[in-house]
Amino acid sequence: MNLGGSLSIPGLCGHGLHFQTDGFRLVYLAVAVLMWSISGIFSQEYMAHYEKRRRYDWFFWATFVATAGVFLSADFFTTFVFFEIMSFTSYVWVAFDERPESLRAAETYLTVAVIGGMVMLMGLFLLEDLCKTLRFDELAKAAKRVPRSRLYVAGGLLLFGFGAKAGCFPLHIWLPKAHPVAPAPASALLSGILTKAGVFGIIVISCRMFGADQLWGTGIACLGTVTMFWGALLALFSVNLKRTLACSSVSQIGFIVTGIGISCLLRAAGESGAMAVRGAFLHMINHSLFKLVLFLCAAAVFMNLHQLDLNDIRGFGRKKPLLLFCFLMGALGIGGMPLWSGYVSKTLLHESIVEYTQAAAAGLPAASAGSGTEVSGRVITGILNVTGHAAFWRAAEWIFLVSGGMTVAYMLKLFVALFVERHPDRQEEFDNMSSCYMRSASKAALVPAAALLPLLGMTAHQSLDRLADLGQTFFGQSGPAHRVDYFSFGNLKGGLISIGIGIILYLTIVRGWMMKGEVRQDRESNQTASGNRYYRDCWPAWLDLENLLYRPLIQTALPGICGAACRFVDRYLVSCTVTVFLACSSVLCRAMDQLTDGAIRLARESTHSQLPRASRQSRPGTAQAGGFFAKQKRRCTERKEQLAERLLWLEKRIQKNGRLVEESFSFGLMLFAVGLCLTLGYLLLVFVRN
Amino acid sequence: MKEILLAVPVLLPIAGGAGMLAMHLGTGGKNDDRRLMLLTAGLVAVNSLVIFWLLRFGTGAGLVLFRLFGNLTVRFELDPMGRVFAGLIAFLWPFATLYSFEYMKHEERKPTFFAYYVMTYGVTSGIALAGNLVTMYLCYEMLTLVTFPLVLFPMTKEAKRASRRYLYYSIGGAAFAFIGLVFVLSFSRTGNTDFIPGGVLNLEAGRAQRNLLLLVYVLAFFGFGVKAALFPLHGWLPKATVAPTPVTALLHAVAVVKSGAFAILRFTYFSYGTEFLRGSWAQEIVMAATLATIVFGSTMAVREIHWKRRLAYSTVSNLSYILFGAAMMSPLGLAAALSHLAVHAFMKICSFFCAGAVMHQTGKTQVYELDGLGKEMPVTFACLTVASLSLMGIPLFGGFISKWNLVQAAFACGSRSDGMMSESAIALPAAAGAGVWLPYVGVAVILYSALMTGIYMLTVLVRAYFPKVAVGDTGGEEGGNCRSQEGRTKFRDPGWMMLTPLLIFAAVILVLGLHSAPLMRLLAEIGGEAG
Repeated sequence: MNLGGSLSIPGLCGHGLHFQTDGFRLVYLAVAVLMWSISGIFSQEYMAHYEKRRRYDWFFWATFVATAGVFLSADFFTTFVFFEIMSFTSYVWVAFDERPESLRAAETYLTVAVIGGMVMLMGLFLLEDLCKTLRFDELAKAAKRVPRSRLYVAGGLLLFGFGAKAGCFPLHIWLPKAHPVAPAPASALLSGILTKAGVFGIIVISCRMFGADQLWGTGIACLGTVTMFWGALLALFSVNLKRTLACSSVSQIGFIVTGIGISCLLRAAGESGAMAVRGAFLHMINHSLFKLVLFLCAAAVFMNLHQLDLNDIRGFGRKKPLLLFCFLMGALGIGGMPLWSGYVSKTLLHESIVEYTQAAAAGLPAASAGSGTEVSGRVITGILNVTGHAAFWRAAEWIFLVSGGMTVAYMLKLFVALFVERHPDRQEEFDNMSSCYMRSASKAALVPAAALLPLLGMTAHQSLDRLADLGQTFFGQSGPAHRVDYFSFGNLKGGLISIGIGIILYLTIVRGWMMKGEVRQDRESNQTASGNRYYRDCWPAWLDLENLLYRPLIQTALPGICGAACRFVDRYLVSCTVTVFLACSSVLCRAMDQLTDGAIRLARESTHSQLPRASRQSRPGTAQAGGFFAKQKRRCTERKEQLAERLLWLEKRIQKNGRLVEESFSFGLMLFAVGLCLTLGYLLLVFVRN
Repeated sequence: MKEILLAVPVLLPIAGGAGMLAMHLGTGGKNDDRRLMLLTAGLVAVNSLVIFWLLRFGTGAGLVLFRLFGNLTVRFELDPMGRVFAGLIAFLWPFATLYSFEYMKHEERKPTFFAYYVMTYGVTSGIALAGNLVTMYLCYEMLTLVTFPLVLFPMTKEAKRASRRYLYYSIGGAAFAFIGLVFVLSFSRTGNTDFIPGGVLNLEAGRAQRNLLLLVYVLAFFGFGVKAALFPLHGWLPKATVAPTPVTALLHAVAVVKSGAFAILRFTYFSYGTEFLRGSWAQEIVMAATLATIVFGSTMAVREIHWKRRLAYSTVSNLSYILFGAAMMSPLGLAAALSHLAVHAFMKICSFFCAGAVMHQTGKTQVYELDGLGKEMPVTFACLTVASLSLMGIPLFGGFISKWNLVQAAFACGSRSDGMMSESAIALPAAAGAGVWLPYVGVAVILYSALMTGIYMLTVLVRAYFPKVAVGDTGGEEGGNCRSQEGRTKFRDPGWMMLTPLLIFAAVILVLGLHSAPLMRLLAEIGGEAG
């Protein structure tokens, strides 16, 4: 089947946009269309009571176009263009209802998106500078010619940008904040498919650009492992329906990223990474569908109750078989129950980790990190030696299984809270809603989506395998090494271990630790004992990366330090410099001024002295210094002679001043002449030299 | 005969403006206003048409208007780089004039304002059309003098202080630029200061006095840099925002500051020549200064809460993007600098006009007062959104293109120095210094600045579209909100005379973002010629 096709629009946006279709892209486009149409139908009901529906609709479809653009792009430039548009249009979803917590979450989302986008852009610049191309097809070849250390930097920057959107570990902070406040159909898309746009980028970097690179593969796999564990842990401790689902998204993305990393590692070890790639790809599709179904169920809850806390919504699902069916399908799917589609992809991922563990145990080809400087080369070799051990990957396998178990545990928590437990006071009210909690159009959209999950899982070889065949060429893989029998004992064992761990975790952590009874005020109500127990938020409040690290860093540290420095510079440094300069120059000028005067004075007193020494006493200066009394005396006694004497004195003074002016002028002329001579001399010198 | 047309765009507005001053036009009456508007609009429109005619049909050789003495001539010529700048101002000026008609409607002393506004047009065209350094220097000095009354226009104490500061800074800067002019003249290969792509410096004579010439270059760079608000000399620009918004927008975001940047480009690429400067310590100094300015400007913009001053700081940082391009001393650098020069003009004038529209309609000048205005003035804020996203460098908008070019040029510059170092480390010892890693630092600085741009522009937008009503951050803000929520009239978008320029500028930003190929090709040609 030929699905290849390409479209170029040269010149648009500066560098021209390039699109391409192949199996992977078409499958994902189909998933996007499916998700958008279903949540679009659902939005009709969900948004019915909001004023700003038009705004929502507009950005809803704009985001669709942008997302489709990302998945169809054939070079990083196009990806980036649509990626940024997607970030900004989806921002409006998060800020949609304009409550303070929404705005705060939206702020977080926007900050992560903008920072991620900018860092990614730098990665693109570096990559283009290194490889001279951004086209996916040419990257692999171009990347071989480039020094590895620089390529790692470029890849790392790109990974930062795409990982921020995908929700990888240190940058996952926006997901648990943004999802609970966004409209539920929008969060279905945010979690189901926008995060996949980030994963798309990670796939291109890892599988297309680096390909068989042990170091990169190890990094990605570790990132994935940490993400899946941390997300699952967050989800387990969360007591908010949508927040749990959001954290679950983080965890599931971790599964996918792990698969991508393992595929790089397998290729580096000289084996086929097909299994890992197929697992990652199928888990992408599955996770999109799970989250669609689960978030729409959450939407149904929120539409009716406008609450999301598990303690407030418990028991809502009772006597609503349709909701129960949909939620159950989603929960079983994501929990990895055999016969549901999640089991298939998780099995593949698990198998690929096992495969790599075996390869590592058998001994890997010697690490080929010759590039880079001596020291970094040695460090890299050291890292690879540690991570090349089979035990390391056995630990990863167990983290994988435990994360799977936690998935089961938190889904069980949600399921029990929604469908099994009873609300202490409002149960009757909830039961009465059973007939009218969802419109039929929404039901018609939701049920087929939910039914799809077991269908895909039961016909794994007919449906999922074919999808995987379509997709895997994009990852740079040709065919599967061998056909996987999903329901063999070995594979079932992994799934069952996970489920077992999940049930134990649920019973111990959720039931045993998180649920506390007897504190609620409704003691007098004669409910069963379990009705009185409530879900407690056990997650330590300070352990929130956003408040612990990022907000202080971005809001206080960066502008604080830089701003203070700049303000200091602005306010003091420049003006100080000017003041100091002025002060210095004025002192200097005054000194120069005095110098001339002094020279004149000196000349007058020595060589150019024209006055007899005696008469100096009657100089105006000394007369003034002679004091006030002398003048007074004269005024009193010799009033008659005063006029004549004064006139005489004045005349003398005028004469003297005139002489002074004359002298100064002549002196000035003299200095001028000296200057002229000097200039002439200089000119002569220059003339002679030339 | 055609050549004589070259002098028209310079002399017509100057003469017209002087005439307007001499005529003592009355104010207040409706007829007076109409006469003033017709006169101004006529002058500006005719002038723009003449410039467009020149751009379209070419000009032939340059025109020597008169000789000062010897080979100091006042000479006009329209070369490709001048075309870009001339076209830019010829496009912006009519719209800005239209905007100022409405903005200044209720002001006193309108004739004075418009007289100087028109005269500035002439002087700025003079800078664009100048065919040699002497002419450019003359126009540059005149620009200070004709824009000084515009800053002084509000006649408040603050305005007087700001205008005095502006005058000191500019005159002082021009003095340094003058040193550059004298040295170019005395070391010129051709005996005059005509702009020639690649520079007029006599390289052999220059090599003997290399360090002296480089020092003079640095001095002149900072001298011209005063108008381009280079870091230690930027102080006048944020202060000058006391002027009426059309002045701040057109002059202090485009004409005056871009003249500074344009002068530096001319001086670097057409007088000194990049061959002489490339890889020298002078390049490192000026590049480091531009990078410091970028960091400084964008950080200060984040801290500033007065909207127009915030935009002014943003201008400080963005101008240094242009200068950073100039300091790369490479063809790509020049093309990138010119593209940012053109695109930033539209982005910043659009942002300033939005700020002005808000001031005009609501009287609000601080960022924290803007809560919820996005819904009341939809068109204004839509334009502001476009301008802000473009400033941040989001794809689809013009700013992205120029930033892309700039960073690419920086990478090319960095790798070229790498290559130079490995090939001829002995022949060019200066190249082994900071010149190698400085462009990469520049990339990081641009990244930082883009983030800061995101913060300072988006906080405005977020406030305008999603007001924080229920729980404010601080008590004072909250109180202000409550009051404004209760009993106030709804604000509206301004009239068509202010909206048309806004919409057109926003459209241009989008068009440049989507289809920039022809412009970039033109700029690349200029770069290839002069670099």
